[in-house]
Amino acid sequence: MAILEARELTRLFGGLAAVNRVDLTVDKGEIVGLIGPNGAGKTTCFNLLTGFLRPTRGSIIFDGQDITGLRPHQIAARGLVRTFQLTTLFQEMTALENVLLGLHLHSGKGPRQVLFSRRDFPADEIARGRDVLEFTGLASHADQLTRNLPHGHQRVLGIAMALAAQPRLLLLDEPVTGMNLDESGRVMDLVRTIRSRGTTILLVEHNMKAVMGTCERIVVLNFGQKLTEGTPSQVSTSPAVIQAYLGTGIDHA
Amino acid sequence: MRRKLGVPIVLAMLAALALLVPALGGDYYVHVFALVFTNVILAASLRPSLTCGQLNIGHSAFMSVGAYTSALLAKNLAVPFEISLLCGALLATLVGLAIGYPSLRLRGVYFAMVTVAFVEVIRLIAQLWVSLTRGMSGLSGIPKPSVLGMTLTSRASQYYLVVGLTLVILLVLWKLEHSRLGLIWKSIGMADNLAQSLGVNIARHKLLAFMLGCFFAGTAGAFYAHFIRFLFPPEFGFLMATNILVYNYVGGRGHFVGPIVGATFLSLLSEPFRGSPYETIFFSIAMLLTILFLPGGLITLPRKLAELRSWRTASAPTPSPAA
Repeated sequence: MAILEARELTRLFGGLAAVNRVDLTVDKGEIVGLIGPNGAGKTTCFNLLTGFLRPTRGSIIFDGQDITGLRPHQIAARGLVRTFQLTTLFQEMTALENVLLGLHLHSGKGPRQVLFSRRDFPADEIARGRDVLEFTGLASHADQLTRNLPHGHQRVLGIAMALAAQPRLLLLDEPVTGMNLDESGRVMDLVRTIRSRGTTILLVEHNMKAVMGTCERIVVLNFGQKLTEGTPSQVSTSPAVIQAYLGTGIDHA
Repeated sequence: MRRKLGVPIVLAMLAALALLVPALGGDYYVHVFALVFTNVILAASLRPSLTCGQLNIGHSAFMSVGAYTSALLAKNLAVPFEISLLCGALLATLVGLAIGYPSLRLRGVYFAMVTVAFVEVIRLIAQLWVSLTRGMSGLSGIPKPSVLGMTLTSRASQYYLVVGLTLVILLVLWKLEHSRLGLIWKSIGMADNLAQSLGVNIARHKLLAFMLGCFFAGTAGAFYAHFIRFLFPPEFGFLMATNILVYNYVGGRGHFVGPIVGATFLSLLSEPFRGSPYETIFFSIAMLLTILFLPGGLITLPRKLAELRSWRTASAPTPSPAA
C-alpha cells in the first residue's frame, strides 16, 4: 500500500524544469533510494515533498491525504519528516537539546501552551530524548555541544532528531556522504533498524554501495525526469542509467 | 543549562545595588539610573526577536507607541497610571502584530529595512498629528505615575517603580528564555529550515517573540512618559532604535545577561553625551570596538582576560586550554 504518492510532480525555476512530471510512489515499509547525477533534481524533489518548495504542478498524497501546498511544519506534523544534507543542526546546542526539539512536535504544545507551561522539559520527555540518543548510539554524547561532535556523529544526530519527531515516512538527504566505509556501514545498519521498527524510508544518496546494499527499490532521476526505476540489480544494469552516469561512450563520438 | 547559577546571583547583586541608589546619590543619580533601567527593559525585550534571527532596528517605535498612548490616556482622560501603562503596552503589541504579521517572513536585511522604515513612520505620525500629540512642540503635562491611587511624587519612589518593573520583566523574560520556548527561538535563529522540518511553526513563533518584545517596549515607554513627563517625537527615532540594538551586541548576544550588561554599561558611560551629537559617535565607537576586539560582547570579557593571562604566564609552548 502506498504511503506516499506524487503525481506529475513539476517545479519550474524560471524556464528550467528542475523536476519535470515525476511520478513517485513509496509503499509502506519500503526502503526506496532516489539517485541521479548532480543536478538531476533529487533535492528539489525532497523540498517539494516536504513543503519547502511549492510544486508548480502535480499533487502529493501522503497516507491518503493531499498534502500539496501545505507548509513544512504541517507536513512534519502528519508524519513526513526529512533530514538535511551536510550538517544542518543546531550547532550551539547540546545533542540532547537537538533531540528535544525533535520531540517538540509530539509534546502537544503550540506557542500558547509553551508560553504558559510551568515545567520546561518534563522528565518523561527528557527520558524519551535520551532513549532516541541511546537507539542511535549517541547516548554518551548527550550533553556535548553539537559543534564539538565528530562529523559522523553529527550526521547521525540529524537522523536522531528526525526520529524524535516520530515519522511514518523518513526522508534522508545524503545520510552517508563524506563518511568512511565503516561509518557508512553503521548508518545504513541504523537505517535498516529504523525501517524494521515500522518507519518507511526514502533516501537520496551518492554512495552507490550504500544505496545498492540497502534499498529495495531505486528511482533514477536525470535532468529532472524519471529515467527508470526498479530493483538495485535492474537499475545498475540498465543501459539508460549507465549512460546517464557515464556518458554515451565511443559509438556516440 | 551551563552557568545557570550565575544569572540569579548577578541579578540579585544588581538588584541590591539598584535599591541603594536613592540612599547613596541625589536626585540626579536617581534620574540617571531610572533611565538605565528603562534601557535595560528595552534591550532585554529585544532579545527574543534577535534570538529568532530577526534583526529589528525599530524597537524604539514600540516604545513610542506605549509612551504616547499612556501619556494621552492619563492626561486627557485621567486614566489611572496602571491602566494607561497596560493600554500603552497592549497597543504597542497590537501595532507589533500589524507590522510583524506581514513582514516577519522577510529575512535578515529585508526585515531590518521594514523596521527602519517603521520607526520613521511612527516618528512622523507623532510629529504630524499635532492635534493629538502636539507634534514638534512636544507633549507636556503628563501626570506623574501612581500606584493604587497613590501618586508617586518623589523621584526615589518613581525610581523604585521602574526597578520593580524591570525585575518583573527580566524574570518573565529569563523564565521564557530557559523554557521550551527559548529553545525554539534559539533553534529558529540557528537553522530555521531544520526547525520547520521538525514541526516548528516558525512564522507563529517569530511573531510571538516579536510581539512579546513590543509589549515590554511599550511598558518601558509608558513608564518613561510619566517619569520624564515630556514627549518629543525625534527622541524615539532611528538613533534610539540602533542604540537598543547596540546594547545587545556590546553586552553580548550569547547569554541572557548580555543586553542587561550592555544597556547598563553604555547608558552610564554615554550619560555625559546624552542628547549631544557625541552620543552617536560614542555608540559607533563602542560598537566598532566590540566587533573588533570582543565579538562575543562584554559578557565574554572575563573569559578573554583569563585567556590573555594564561597566555602571558604560560610562555612555554603549551597548548591553549581554550582550543
